[in-house]
Amino acid sequence: MNIATSHEVPDDLLAAIDYCYERGWTDGLPVVPPEASRVEAMMQMEGRPPETVIAHHPATGLELTVQAAAVNAVMAGCLPDYFPVVIAAFEAMNKEPFNFHGSTASTGGSAPLLIVSGGVVDDIAMNSGVNLFGPGNRANATIGRAVRLILLNVFRMTPGISDKSTQGNPGKFSFCIAERADRLPWPRLCEEQEYPDGVSSVTVFAGAGFCNVENHGANQPEQVLMTMADAMANYGCISLGQSVVVFSPEHARILGDANWSRQEVQSFLFEQAKRTPDDMKHIGKFVPSEYQRQGQTDYHRGLNAEDILVTVGGGDAGGHSAFIPSWSRSRGSITQHQAIGVCIDC
Amino acid sequence: MKLYDPTVAAAEYDHHRAPPLQSLKGATIGLLSNRKLNADPLLTETARVLQKRYGGRVLELAHKKNASAPAPTETLTGLAPECDYLITASGD
Repeated sequence: MNIATSHEVPDDLLAAIDYCYERGWTDGLPVVPPEASRVEAMMQMEGRPPETVIAHHPATGLELTVQAAAVNAVMAGCLPDYFPVVIAAFEAMNKEPFNFHGSTASTGGSAPLLIVSGGVVDDIAMNSGVNLFGPGNRANATIGRAVRLILLNVFRMTPGISDKSTQGNPGKFSFCIAERADRLPWPRLCEEQEYPDGVSSVTVFAGAGFCNVENHGANQPEQVLMTMADAMANYGCISLGQSVVVFSPEHARILGDANWSRQEVQSFLFEQAKRTPDDMKHIGKFVPSEYQRQGQTDYHRGLNAEDILVTVGGGDAGGHSAFIPSWSRSRGSITQHQAIGVCIDC
Repeated sequence: MKLYDPTVAAAEYDHHRAPPLQSLKGATIGLLSNRKLNADPLLTETARVLQKRYGGRVLELAHKKNASAPAPTETLTGLAPECDYLITASGD
């Protein structure tokens, strides 16, 4: 059990910000000083006691308590209403197949991508539209930032010491988006995940760098999807890993108007995102055991169509979708999800 | 102004080093691969060289589930009583 210690500092906000820098508590940007009343307000959003353990580091034994999460959420700039999303994200990341230690420590440089789905998106005014992956929305920016501050401060995933990312990833500052339900031609992710009506979810994915997939000339589903599949199969990205595909509303409309189901989209992408074994040998990335594990004629991205998470987000204008490859080469981290603000099994 | 500390105390473990081996002669060698590319041939060849030089027995190669996750406790507790020393891991 870890209950946060406290520090008395002068009543000077700028000095308190500097104090946080001096203590090594930041991600490089200034933080909101974790003043006691703000931390307590954050914890009010969580029904469990402050010492409740949310996540556990398998190698070091370090534990994330509700209170430690609240302190870091304050520092990130979260409002209390956002806190259940932060908690749910770490409950998802704490599931063993996600392997948050490995995906953070690795040279691969991934960052946990959070995809929030359901009514909570509007409840806390998250951005699912214009500039989806960019700045401008407090909830998106600070929930993602809270995840990083917790990895840094609680789990001590310090760059250069326990985070050995070769090049890192801008998502390591913040990587949190909301699903755009009003442009989604399929059930929402929280529905696909079979949560009860009214329950929102957060999906966590160890994502590498963002890949913009542009096609303004496409007007048929196959054209949109072949463009995406090509990005997924590029030599630098193809692996056994899972994928996240976020279609822009323009691209999603082309798919929806043609009545393509999410499963049909996933199957098409899996079938087309591929390289031949000779191609893979030519560039030195052919691994016989991986090829045998897939059991396909060609070398595909992922193990099956369900490995490709498909959703919609972004502004109404623009033929710009996104492919986010998985961390590193293989299956070291498997996507997880968690209900927000409710315990489904309780 | 009262600030809460965002860090947590490190877990306390009763960890200590195993006593050093007095000799490799005749010792049983355990192998635990982290599944990195070429880890298996590196470990088996290293064991072969040691066995040739010092004798002893080499256990069947054991594997972690993946390179970045800690070895399961049951893997370690299963190997520990079977070997005198263990060779593990490789970078890539």
